[in-house]
Amino acid sequence: MIYRIVHRTTYRYTYPVSVGNHVACLTPRSLPLHRCERQELRITPPPATRTERVDYFGNQLTFFTIQEPHKKLVVEARSFVTIPENAKPWPGKSLPWEEVVDLLPNDRSAAGLDAYQFCFESPRIRANEEFAEYAHLSFTPGRPFAEALRDLTTRIYTDFKFDSKATNVRTPTEEVFRKRRGVCQDFAHLQIACLRSLNLAARYVSGYLRTYPPPGRMRLVGADASHAWVSAYSPDSGWLDMDPTNNVMPSDGHVTLAWGRDYGDVSPLRGLILGGRDHTLKVGVDMKPLDCLPERSKRQSV
Amino acid sequence: MISDLMQIPLRDPTVYDELSADGVTPRAHWAPFMQGLRGIGSAELEKRWGRAERRIRENGVTYNIYGDPLGANRPWRIDLVPLLIGAEEWRFIEAGIVQRAELLNLVLEDLYGPQKLVSSGRLPAELLYANPAFLRPLAGLTVPKQTYLHLLAIDLARSADGKWWVLADRTQAPSGAGYALENRTIVADVLPDLFRTSNVRRLAPFFRAQRDALVNLAHRDHPRIVLLTPGPYNETYFEHSYLARYLGFTLVEGADLTVRDRQVYLKTVEGLQRVDVIFRRVDDSFCDPLELRAESYLGVPGLVDAIAAGNVKVANALGSGVIETAAMMPFLSGLSRHLLGEPLKLPSVATWWCGQDYALEWVLEHLESIVVKPAFPSRAMEPVFGADLAKTEKQEFRERLKSRPYDYVAQEQVALSAAPVWDGGNLFSRSMVLRTYVLNTGSGWVAMPGGLVRVAGSESAIVSMQRGGHSKDAWILWDGPVDTFSMLPPRDQPVELRRASVDLPSRVADNLFWLGRYVERSENKARLLRTLITRVRRASEAELSCLLRLHSCLDTQRSTLPKKRRATARELEEEVISLMTDAKRPDSLASTLAEVQRVGGVARERLSVDMTRLIGAISDSMQIEDYMLFVEYSAVLNGCLELLSAFSGMERENVTRGPGWLFMSLGRRLERATQSARQLREITTPLADGDWPLLEYLLEVADSSMTYRSRYYTTLQPVAMLDVLMADGTNPRSLAFQISHLVDLYQKLPRHIPDDLQAMRQALELLQSFDLRHLDYPLPGEAAREHLPGELLRLQDSLKALENLLPFWSNNLSNQYFSHARTFSITIG
Repeated sequence: MIYRIVHRTTYRYTYPVSVGNHVACLTPRSLPLHRCERQELRITPPPATRTERVDYFGNQLTFFTIQEPHKKLVVEARSFVTIPENAKPWPGKSLPWEEVVDLLPNDRSAAGLDAYQFCFESPRIRANEEFAEYAHLSFTPGRPFAEALRDLTTRIYTDFKFDSKATNVRTPTEEVFRKRRGVCQDFAHLQIACLRSLNLAARYVSGYLRTYPPPGRMRLVGADASHAWVSAYSPDSGWLDMDPTNNVMPSDGHVTLAWGRDYGDVSPLRGLILGGRDHTLKVGVDMKPLDCLPERSKRQSV
Repeated sequence: MISDLMQIPLRDPTVYDELSADGVTPRAHWAPFMQGLRGIGSAELEKRWGRAERRIRENGVTYNIYGDPLGANRPWRIDLVPLLIGAEEWRFIEAGIVQRAELLNLVLEDLYGPQKLVSSGRLPAELLYANPAFLRPLAGLTVPKQTYLHLLAIDLARSADGKWWVLADRTQAPSGAGYALENRTIVADVLPDLFRTSNVRRLAPFFRAQRDALVNLAHRDHPRIVLLTPGPYNETYFEHSYLARYLGFTLVEGADLTVRDRQVYLKTVEGLQRVDVIFRRVDDSFCDPLELRAESYLGVPGLVDAIAAGNVKVANALGSGVIETAAMMPFLSGLSRHLLGEPLKLPSVATWWCGQDYALEWVLEHLESIVVKPAFPSRAMEPVFGADLAKTEKQEFRERLKSRPYDYVAQEQVALSAAPVWDGGNLFSRSMVLRTYVLNTGSGWVAMPGGLVRVAGSESAIVSMQRGGHSKDAWILWDGPVDTFSMLPPRDQPVELRRASVDLPSRVADNLFWLGRYVERSENKARLLRTLITRVRRASEAELSCLLRLHSCLDTQRSTLPKKRRATARELEEEVISLMTDAKRPDSLASTLAEVQRVGGVARERLSVDMTRLIGAISDSMQIEDYMLFVEYSAVLNGCLELLSAFSGMERENVTRGPGWLFMSLGRRLERATQSARQLREITTPLADGDWPLLEYLLEVADSSMTYRSRYYTTLQPVAMLDVLMADGTNPRSLAFQISHLVDLYQKLPRHIPDDLQAMRQALELLQSFDLRHLDYPLPGEAAREHLPGELLRLQDSLKALENLLPFWSNNLSNQYFSHARTFSITIG
């Protein structure tokens, strides 16, 4: 299935910004079964410099600088991503989770090392005893890793309430845990904190959800903005994605943009501006299967 | 025998005594030095040391102690007796630290490159992944190899058996090399003969090599090299400004730099100037809020991208802090054999990184004999001395270690060696640590011959400048010829004449401009207050209204006077005291002096030592004692005014007419013009019968009584006053004088605004265009006229227009030269 994704971010400033240095993480990753066919980033006003760099986690970053005074910045990312229609099968069997914990530090294969780095604290995610305690209710002794992971996801989904007013991008995970409320970013951070508190490897995935579900399915929460979920690693099953906000295993309705240790590594667009004073932000995301688009725009885009 | 100079402490057999093996006879390499000290004698040494300490204070050598109740700047504490190291021993140390530097540089190269050390298991992956100092955005970027560890500091200690051990590696932005240099200058000055006869290796060649190494990093002739400092609140700011001056680099803060077109630029009053090399003293994670720590105000947004583009070189390279952790130490010996093919020459102090099973086990069993520290800077934790823990605490602590073992390292406690310290005519023994420095020139490694010795403040074994210890010079007593090159121009040779302007960062220009304004504003306030104080008590009714009019010239925003009725003498008196001393009132003299101190402090590196000292004295001058009589206040103001005049004198006579001076003087002229125009407004408004004393007050404030009386004797006439205070271009207090100087100064500025220059010229012409001799000025007693004479009206209007123009010019100046340096970047997203 091919999706067309339009992700539009608009900043409006009270006073003109004279210089803005920005970095965008808006190019969907290409994976074996998940291909980014085409991508373009339209930036207004036109940047004076623009460079691409692949970060430590393999994400494509775009650095750009705007050097003319402006009161409005628009960044529009248009991407076309192909993903298989049938979901990746959930592993039937998996290792007991304690064994996963023991294997991780000793696996020096490229994949093993790459996964191991996600066992540790990161700027926005600290491990602690409380998280470990909460996680232990799902990660009971000897329980298979995948099963425990699924159970933890369900518990977060039921114990926590989606509330876009309760938190902001800087709310610490500990506070989310206390308040039992938050948005997809908070739930992802929380689940990662739980897993890392058990010395498991978990990473933060930033991506998109299909805006309107196929007939007969529920519309998922977080579909009109950029979304986030979790991926956890075990040597036998590889990376397993889980979406605690919707209590689902991401499949053909989720498109992966980037991953990192936490939100800070993959925030879609950030920057530093000179001037501007106050600003307002508007983000709109639209993700549709190509066959749902009107004929004209299909021709234009493929 | 050294006992006559030394109060012999009880000799502790568990520590190595640097000076003497038996506590009686000096070691061989100390003998001539001790003989020399004895020759000088205690009394003479004390006298010389007193002079040296005064010089330290005057030079402003400081070390900022966090949370010091005595204020941020504390004089740097130096000890008179250097640590002596013999040639043989130094060769051994040198070989050891150079090898270590080479090894650590190779490790960094690998960690930010192929990471073979991790994939082969020679270094545990946790040292990268659990370590917040591993900066992922820098991984895989190509930077010159010699910048990973351009400068490395290694802390050494000597154990009881006389062996040297490495205590710590400072790989980020090591501090102290500048203090070592300053220590050398001072100690060599106090003991000139001993220094000469001891054949001490000099430090200057090391700094020359460092300057050359940084220059060679750039790819063009006459590169611009800056020293990036976190600013005056940093603990070692003195060192930053000292080194910048010594090496000839521009001292900058993050906000002075900007990235355009993937290139780093310095914001100067002459516009943006390209920067080639950054010698940084800002911790690496703070250097770029775009890709590193977003909340940092110390960095330069886009710096990492400029590094990626190869357009700027940073030394030490960003990310070099990753190997600063002691957790690295247990692996260095193996890495040395692997990477260099030779054993490690200088051992590290015994260290266990708890991330290894057997190390954790050992640590849990031997908690009593070790000290446990956080492995990574993210964990805020004081070192835990196992021996100090109670039994229950020990169990708890063991559990903590077991839950996240890789977060901890344990080290053996080294019994530090003792060095002699001079105090009040006697020598005492104190624990010491030697900080050594190694420089990467690109074509080889150079060790600083000497270093910074830090000694404990008391008999405790904790050695830390943050905890108030002393420092010492270290003399390498050489057995061959020493290179006597000096970076300072030799006294008997003429210096090379250089008139090229040094970059003036906009931020510094901004502060100098305001320094000029605040000094002038203080002077005006002090003069006005003095005139009020000496008169308010015995003022008649008529005089009181004149004094109130004079007070109104201050345009105080927070006046305590009643608004609806005329104030009484008593109320004016209270207002005057409040205006003079109330530091909470932004319009008070006390607050203005505090501003002088603030901007003067920030612009310190551009001011002479004398000027800096004077600024300190100026802001201390308002000492009001409880028992002081009201009239005594005027003596305080006199003292303050004398200091302000001394400062003005210095500004005129002792400052090079560079761009910095231009901005300071512009500030002064603009301020004085503003005050003068305001006061003239009182004269152009026709005076009533009782208002005439006001003329006398205004003359006094303008310090022009003599000028006036020498021309007009005693009669005070408004028109004559206008001539003296407004139009007379020879009176340095007149408005015309200010504007004429403004024109002169302003046109010298690079990139000045032609329209403003034109407007200033016109204003000057206008001021001098009035025919004051024929000015029709209504005399008192004359029947009130319905309309003011036309020429007087025109004069009033012109002055009013000028009063509006002055702040306008000031703002334009700000926008043109300073504003791009004032705004901080804010983070969005």
